[in-house]
Formats: sequence, C-alpha cells, structure tokens
Amino acid sequence: MSARDRTPMFESKSAAMRAVQVGFLGLLLGLWFIATSVTQVHRLLLPDPPQVWHEMQRLVVTGELWRAARVTLLTVGQAYGIAVASGLLIGFCVSRSRHAVRLLEPVLSGFFAIPLTLFFPLFILFFGIGTASKLAYGALYALLPVALASIAAFARIDPLLIRAAAAMGARPAALLHRVYLPAALPGVLSGMRIALVICIAAVLGGETLVSTAGVGYAIKVAEELMEVARMYAWLIFVVLASFALNMLLSMAERWSVEP
Amino acid sequence: MSPAPTDRERAGVVRIEQYRDRTGGTTSGSDAIAISAQHVTQRFEGSDRQHSVLALDDLSLEIREGEFLCLLGPSGCGKSTLLNIIGGMTKPTAGEVRIGGRALIGPAPREVAFVFQESTLFPWYTVIENFAVASEFQGRKSGWEERARGALRAVGMEGFAGHYPNQLSIGMRQRINLARALFLDTPILLMDEPFAALDEQTRMVLGEDLSVLLARTGKTIVFVTHSLAEAVFLADRVVVMTARPGRIKAVSAIDEPHPRSPDFMLTPRFSEMRNALFALLRDEIRHTVAEMREARDERAGSNPDV
Amino acid sequence: MSAALASRFGIRVQRMVLLLALFLLWEITARLFGDPGMIAAPSQVLGALGPRIFGDPRVLSAIGLTLFELTVAFICSVVFGVVIGLAIGSSSISRRGLMPIVLLLYAIPQAILLPLFVLTLGIGPLCKIAFGFSHGVFPVILSTVAGLRGASPLLLSGARSMGAGRLQIVRHLLFPHMVSVLFAGLRLAMTLTLLGVLLAELFVSTTGIGYFSQVFAQTFDPAPLFALIATLAAMAVALNETVRTIERRFTRWK
Repeated sequence: MSARDRTPMFESKSAAMRAVQVGFLGLLLGLWFIATSVTQVHRLLLPDPPQVWHEMQRLVVTGELWRAARVTLLTVGQAYGIAVASGLLIGFCVSRSRHAVRLLEPVLSGFFAIPLTLFFPLFILFFGIGTASKLAYGALYALLPVALASIAAFARIDPLLIRAAAAMGARPAALLHRVYLPAALPGVLSGMRIALVICIAAVLGGETLVSTAGVGYAIKVAEELMEVARMYAWLIFVVLASFALNMLLSMAERWSVEP
Repeated sequence: MSPAPTDRERAGVVRIEQYRDRTGGTTSGSDAIAISAQHVTQRFEGSDRQHSVLALDDLSLEIREGEFLCLLGPSGCGKSTLLNIIGGMTKPTAGEVRIGGRALIGPAPREVAFVFQESTLFPWYTVIENFAVASEFQGRKSGWEERARGALRAVGMEGFAGHYPNQLSIGMRQRINLARALFLDTPILLMDEPFAALDEQTRMVLGEDLSVLLARTGKTIVFVTHSLAEAVFLADRVVVMTARPGRIKAVSAIDEPHPRSPDFMLTPRFSEMRNALFALLRDEIRHTVAEMREARDERAGSNPDV
Repeated sequence: MSAALASRFGIRVQRMVLLLALFLLWEITARLFGDPGMIAAPSQVLGALGPRIFGDPRVLSAIGLTLFELTVAFICSVVFGVVIGLAIGSSSISRRGLMPIVLLLYAIPQAILLPLFVLTLGIGPLCKIAFGFSHGVFPVILSTVAGLRGASPLLLSGARSMGAGRLQIVRHLLFPHMVSVLFAGLRLAMTLTLLGVLLAELFVSTTGIGYFSQVFAQTFDPAPLFALIATLAAMAVALNETVRTIERRFTRWK
C-alpha cells in the first residue's frame, strides 16, 4: 500500500532478539544460583544447581535415564502407531460419504472440547495399572486429531481431479495411490504432527498418574521419595527433549511446505 | 442535544443534494491550483539485497481546483505511491507537495479524503458508528449525524446505517466508503482504484454515480485506475504514467461536461480517446511485462531448485 | 428455504437417533456380555446418579470444589494471560525475543511438572488452581499477542488519513481487534484449564474427585464411576458453551 507500510529490516533487531533470549536464560540460571546460596529457600523445594547437575550425570551414567526413556518411547510409539493407523482409516471411511461427514464431524470435534483426561479412571478400570491403560489412553487421545484431519483432508479433495483420473482409466488402487493420498497428505501430516505432541503428553500424563515404569513414573517416584535433585534432573532432561522435538517438528513442517 | 449546524456545515449537506450545472471544457472549474507536486522523487530502500527501487522520478504535476484527474499506468508504475504522496500519507524522498498553497507535511484530514481499493470501515462498528468515529478522528464533532445521514442518502445507503459492514455486499461497502469520504467534507478526494474489487456492472453504475456527484459538489478528485474506459468516462484530464520508474508520459484532456451519461461511451469520440490512451500505454505495459520476466529469471537463476 | 431447514432438522434428528442407538447398544452389551465389575449399563449409571452422586454430599462437594478451582484458574489465566500478552506484544523486540521462549514453554508436556507443583504447593486447592492456570494461560498469551499484531494495515492507513491520533488508533482499531482475537482463544483456554485442574485432581488421590474415582475404580464399582465422569463431562460441555455464548455476544459483527 503506502511506503510507510514497508519497514526495512534492521540487522540489529535480530541481534537484540537473541540478546533478550540469552539474557532471559541467564537471568533464570542466575536467580537459581542466588536463590539457593543466599536465601533460605528450603532445600526440599529448590535444590542446589551442582546437586542437580550431579544427578543428571548419575542418571546418564547408571543407564537409568535410558531405561525409563525406552519404556516411555516404546509406549508412545505403539500408541501413536495405533492412533495414526486407525485415525487414517476412520477418517478415510467417514470422508467417503458427505452425509457421514456432516453427521459425525461435529461429534468428533465436540469430543475435543472435553479433555479425555476426564475418562482416565475408566482406562484404569478396564486396563488396570500398568502399560495397557496409558497405551490405550495415549492412543485414543492421539486418534482424534488424526481422524479429524483425515476427514477434512480426504473430504476436501477436488472431485474434479478424481473424475479426471478415472476418465483416464485409473483403477481404484492407482486412484488411491496417485490421487487420494498425495492430495490429502499435507492435511493428514499436520494432524499427525499435532497427534504426536498430544500422544507424548498423554502417555507422560498416564505415567505420572498410574503406571509402574517410564519417565513420568520416575518423576513421581522421585517426588514421593523427596529426592528433589533427582526430580529436577529428570525435568531438565524432559524439557530439553521437548525443545528438540519441537525444533524437529518445525523443521519438518517447513520442509513439507517447500519440498 | 447538539448545537445547530453552522452555515458552512449546512451548506455542505445542501451542496450534496443540490444540482449544480457544470459546463466548461478542459479548464473545468476555476484556474486555482488545488494540489501542486514539484519534482517528486520516491525511492524505496531494499529489504535484503541493498536493492533500492526508484518508484517515482522527478515528477511534477499541478491539479486544478474542481477537476477530475485520472492517473493511468501499468502495474507498478507508482500511481498509488504518487497518490499517497500527494495525500500526505507518504513523505517523498525528494520534492515537495503543496495543497492550497501550503506545504504538506503529513496527513491532511481536513483537506484530503481517501477512498481505498478495499473497505476501510471498522468491522466492529456499525455503519453509523463508523461515521461517528471518522468525525472524531477529523476533530469535527458537532452536527456529524445529520451530515452522515445526508452522505448516506447521497449514495443511496441511508437504510443501512445500523448494519455492520460484514452484513453488506462489497459494492455496498464501497458506496459507504465513498459516502464517508464525502461526509468528511474535504475539498479534495483521492481514490485508489476504488472499484477494482467490484464486478463490471457495479463498476459502471458506481462510475455513473460518481460523475453525477462530481457535477454536484465541485470537489477536486484524483482517481487511480487501470481501466482505460473508466479513465475516459470519468476524467477531465488523464495523466498517463510510464513504467517504473514512474514519470509523466502524457496528459490528455477529455472535453466533455459532467455529469456524463453512459451514452458518452458509445460516441466515436470516446473510442478515439480510448485508443489514443491505449497507444500511449501499450509500450509501457510491454516494458513492465519484460521487466517482470527479467526479475523472475534472475530469481530462478540464483535458485537452482526452481 | 424449507428444504434446507428440513435437512438441517433432519441432521440433528439423525444425530440424536445415532446417539440413542449407541446407547441402546451399550445397554444391551453391558447387560448381556459385560463384566459387572467393569461395565455399567446406561440405566444403571442413571440409577447411580441420584443416590451415589447427587445424593452423596461428599461427592457433591468434591465436584463443587473442582468447579471452584476451575473458575478461579480460568479467571487467573485470562487476567494474567492478557497482561503478559500485552507486555510481550507491545514492542517488536520484546515480542520477537520472548515469544520463542513462551512457545517452547508451551511445548513442554506439563504432566511431568505435576509432582513438582504438588511438592511446592501441597495437596490443597492451590496446587490444582496453579496447575490449571499453567495450562490455560498460554493460549490467552498467544491470542493477545496475535491480536496486537494482526490489525489490518489498510484500516490503519484509513484511520491515519482521517487524522486519527495514536490514542484514537489504539482505542478504535488495535483494542477492538485484539479483543476479537482474544475471544477466539478463550474456548481453548477453558478446555486446557479444565485439563490441568482434572489432571491435578486425579493425581492427588487422597481427596476430591481423584479420591472418589480411585475408590470407585478399585472397588470395581463402575456405575457411580461412570456417573461421576458423566457429571463432570456435562459440566465441561456447559462451561464450553458458556464461553462460546459470551464470545458470540461480543463478536456479533463478524
């Protein structure tokens, strides 16, 4: 529009931005050190940074980190696999009939408004305390975004494309492979990304509430035993892992937009 | 209880409704200069490659009081930029603009009213509330409601004062934008392709209405457009601009009194003038297309994946 | 017009019929095949609703406490979320510097922080309110920051051309736009706050609905458990609808 709407990019602005972020991080760490050394904050609430660092090393060296992480990751992997497979299937089937879409999609979105956490006691009732309940919980929670995204993605494929391909002689298998899947892929992928984040959060939640193994369980145990330094150590690992995952997902999203 | 409208304000309302016959050829209205742009140059700094763009190159233009002037040119020739500069929305890199003899240093809400390509009505206010806010911005609060209803009546939208903009069609919204510009009661009206987003028929009808309004109010109007037919139909003078960097290529006068009827479009004179303008524009359009192709090839060359 | 109405009426009726059919299926399966320690038929659930839930003052007060915690957490989320959002979004530098931090914090699976909250704040309502707040505050911050940014530059030009001063632009352009974006984020904030409060309640299984759900589950008494969950679900839907109604009232102009 007008020249005033076009602001030049100042190189110094991104440097200032980094400065703010680094400053914030430094401030947090600084406060932590000060709080533990100067003030009388109860050791039970805020452990010494060196102690936490020591625990972090211990978790790695003794293999405890890997053992618990493996359980969690395995559960997440299974739950996610089930969620994606069934979500895609449900989404595709529902999308076939416009009537079904109109009937069911609001119901599924409505479910999203009620946190499935509400039904968690039912999972304990059915599956007991252990891997099965958090697996089912994670799978069901992650299924919703995949199903919703699939319904939207498959239902919105331009029918003209399908008719054109069929007119050129494409058989159902080829149609599925060459038209449906590529056209629906972006929408489905974005649903899958949301589902992954939800699945991890759900499984960790399940582990924290009940369960006998995994990262969430380890954190809960540390709290019950009042081993605060260990709990903080676990938390730092999980936070770092979530940052890494977040970065991977953003990169995947950017990659999917410009292949 | 608002005080009685002043004589000037009442005159403003009355002026819209009163028919004022206008004759005269190229020097429509008075010889006084409404807007004077001298040696205006506009350069935009590059975003990432230190590439600055020269949008306007040493352009000088005098717009007479009461005339309807069209800025015509290919895409990117700087006509919108020029409009923003003479309206005080953008400060030129070099050169000076004077309105009514005084140098322009920023927006001039009492001298200049804008109509943009898309609606600038606030969607969260009703139509009449938008007028209230506009008068608050301008600083002219008393008697606004009467003036507002008068302006809406002039464009035939008085029944929609209580509606929200999103309840109206695009054509209706642009009429209201026009009404609001009239409501501001400024001597100068700047319009940046106001009918571009509308369908052909609505464009023609609104163009006709604009011609009638022009005859009645005697405002100075500067109108940016792509459309040759629109330019010939509406303007007293058409300024043809070159491709970027924008300079004035030619100024054509259209000798036909306002209000103009659609029959004017059927006359051989209309076609002649239209063809003449097209001849002037054709080279500039070719030039612009070639430049765009060059720029695209340059980008493709630097990015092997494209 | 009437054909469209008929089909819309038809869809709603069809959905009702579908739901009723599912309920019927549930009833039959539960009665015939269901393990009575694990599944309760809808009729049994309805039967338990009276005496075991609404008739039991302890359960009722647990539900009431949860509702209270939820309300306080939501209000805090909105108030603090808007304040923080305004602070972050007010300048380009603070926004571009701090927003990535906010987004990374948002991405942390908050369930793992639950033990820490309980350790620090005890097992009373405070930790549940705080945990709910920590969930709900993020969408409010994000909506506020987005609202501050997204005001149309075209509207800004229009306002400036009419002589609007900075304060007038904030009042008539930036603020209404921000409010409209904010409301869109409020429903998500409500859902997430509910999630947080529920998680915390379930974790602390010594009082509140966490206690009762555990008791019902461990004594294999499904009817009151189903009834409790159904009541909470109805509460969740009602709260969601309330926020939606408020949102619609404030964005009538859309």
